[in-house]
Amino acid sequence: MQNIEEEIKDIIAEIIEKEPAEILPEAKFFQDLGVDSMMALEIMAAIEKKYKISIPEEKLTQLATLNDTVRVAKEYLGEKADVNA
Amino acid sequence: MLNIDELQAILPQRFPFLMIDRVEELEPGKKVVAVKNVSINEQFFSGHFPGRPIMPGVLIIEAMAQAAIVLFSQSKEVIKDKKMAYYLGNVKVRFLSPVFPGDQLKIKVEPLKMLSAAAIVSVEGMVGDRKIAEGELALSAKEG
Repeated sequence: MQNIEEEIKDIIAEIIEKEPAEILPEAKFFQDLGVDSMMALEIMAAIEKKYKISIPEEKLTQLATLNDTVRVAKEYLGEKADVNA
Repeated sequence: MLNIDELQAILPQRFPFLMIDRVEELEPGKKVVAVKNVSINEQFFSGHFPGRPIMPGVLIIEAMAQAAIVLFSQSKEVIKDKKMAYYLGNVKVRFLSPVFPGDQLKIKVEPLKMLSAAAIVSVEGMVGDRKIAEGELALSAKEG
């Protein structure tokens, strides 16, 4: 299985229509990658769908880079893993 | 259920761009089923296409977007009665079968992700038991 960073990078790449290689871990979505607020929402929804998790609305503004997004996703995946354990 | 007067209180669109006639089912936060009766008198049929009338896909998307506005606005107590401006952010729709004059287009919209000022919804268009289009829309709302 691909690791979560790679999977999330691919999700983001598809939504923002860039090559995965362009999405550097600390590249800023809004300034560096041309992401707008609707794309950010789509990224959030796509991650929720893929991992079957639910991320609250307040977290949307925290999704500023790939690293941030992976961190937030892991936070909620962690909760889910605990439930399943 | 919402009739055309109630719909016009919600939707900012007007003739010739009101693309739904009635809402048959409304479950705030869960589902909207809207109806568009497609008549040969629609202006677009004279050009799309002469002698071969087919409802333009972009207008099917518009009907879906208007049904999505109904779902979004009626799911939010704070904006229910406010005048809002709506923007489509993204459209992913696959067309499966054409829509002809005389068809009754039924559009079902369900939320995939609903935030305070934006939503992603799944959309499905049916004519009878024939699915004519399906996909996802992303829309946002601003006051004013």
